[in-house]
Amino acid sequence: MAFWSQTFTIAAKDLRAELRSKEAINASFSFSLTILLLFSFAFVEEATIDIAGGLLWIVFAFAGALILNRSFARELPNDCLDALIAAPLPASALFLGKALANLLLLLAVEAVSFPVFGVFYNARWTGQFWTLALVAVLGTWGFTVIGTMFSALTVNLRLREVMLPLLVYPVMIPCLMAAMKLTGHLIGGEPLDAEMMVWMRFLIGFDVIFTALALALVDVVLVS
Amino acid sequence: MRNKLVYILGALVAVLFVRNLYVILNVLPDEANQGAMYRIMFFHIPSWWTAGLALTVAGVTSGLYLATGKMKYDAISVSVTEVAVAFLCIGMTTGMIWARIIWGIWWTWDARLTSALICVLLYGGYLILRNGIEDPTSRARISAAFNIFAFVDVPIVWYSIRWWRTQHPQPMSLPPEMWSALLWNWLALILLMIIFIKMRLRQEEMRREVDGLRRLAHAI
Amino acid sequence: MDERNFQYMFYGFSAAWVVIVIYALTLFARESKIKAEIDRLKSMLEEKDRK
Repeated sequence: MAFWSQTFTIAAKDLRAELRSKEAINASFSFSLTILLLFSFAFVEEATIDIAGGLLWIVFAFAGALILNRSFARELPNDCLDALIAAPLPASALFLGKALANLLLLLAVEAVSFPVFGVFYNARWTGQFWTLALVAVLGTWGFTVIGTMFSALTVNLRLREVMLPLLVYPVMIPCLMAAMKLTGHLIGGEPLDAEMMVWMRFLIGFDVIFTALALALVDVVLVS
Repeated sequence: MRNKLVYILGALVAVLFVRNLYVILNVLPDEANQGAMYRIMFFHIPSWWTAGLALTVAGVTSGLYLATGKMKYDAISVSVTEVAVAFLCIGMTTGMIWARIIWGIWWTWDARLTSALICVLLYGGYLILRNGIEDPTSRARISAAFNIFAFVDVPIVWYSIRWWRTQHPQPMSLPPEMWSALLWNWLALILLMIIFIKMRLRQEEMRREVDGLRRLAHAI
Repeated sequence: MDERNFQYMFYGFSAAWVVIVIYALTLFARESKIKAEIDRLKSMLEEKDRK
């Protein structure tokens, strides 16, 4: 149980730090709103429902990169990262705490983006609300787990801001594909059918595999 | 002595390729619909097999580096991965040329091609990542961790045509003389891969020598 | 041999060979660059020894 209290302590610390400075959150919110606005000029209204899934997840992927980049970079000044690694908590607790904090931040961005999408694109998206929320959480968790892991990997690199998206997006493609297809289907208001359930299982499988892999390898990556 | 081995292998590879090209172009029967184009598969398929073999070896040596900490495993990982990326490029270009003629399109987003493209992006990213880290130990550690993440895609590429319905040809049975030609060409490509890996490994050793000399030069 | 699409088959084979040759050339180029660096460092060390 100490593991979980450590994890939640780290998550609370990260959330508190982020909410005080609001660096990544402001950037993320503004970015997603801007992109949604721009895309509403780019596409005809009739095409909107078709592209909704893809559009939204591209917005979340790019906005999420801003949050994930800050995740470990925030610890670099004053040797905070070394202090955290030297602290008597397992690396997996540190990783999970940060991943949870990133998950909540990105979910907050999504919670704002969906209504904005509904307004700008005149789209009714609440038809399958709870299933849509589940898909959003699963897709965001996949993104967060990979992104937090690679944020730890790239924290000491010169070209961190470039390397993180370069490494994260190819790994994310299966998760994004599944999330896009499911979101597009659910925004249309229809419940999940057999074909969509395949994508749902795919998304869950992706989350499980990469969470396990990340937890297994985090000790290797977070070494002082 | 090491150089001699590379030259002998090189000569063997040259002989094999000449023999294989002769077989592929003259001996093998024609295919019903594709004309001469189907013969590209004798390069396309073995180069993907070679890349898959190389990436599996790279994944294993990355794991071995993380387990033991010996730098030789890191040298092997980067050499094998770089050669694998070259074979991935061969596979992609031959596939795309074949597709342009037979399907009429250069690309499609089915499971096989998408996962293959992800593979190229991942291992290309691995090579770029290595360039960005200067300290050899953390470079070895971080790239080994990334290599293991990237390796998750390799089984997906392999099984994609069995798990999903794809535009890419599904598993099929071939007449024995075609299987024989495939395997002979695979042998030639494997030997070529070994030659490239040996050359690349020697360059890793030379780089370590440069690092040592640099440290010595700056110390004096 | 069925000659249909022969030209495109040739392009396909050439593509494979071009990639192999380009990779071999980059390997050779990199090796000579590293060798030059080693020679430069060794001569620099010898000069320092002589001093």
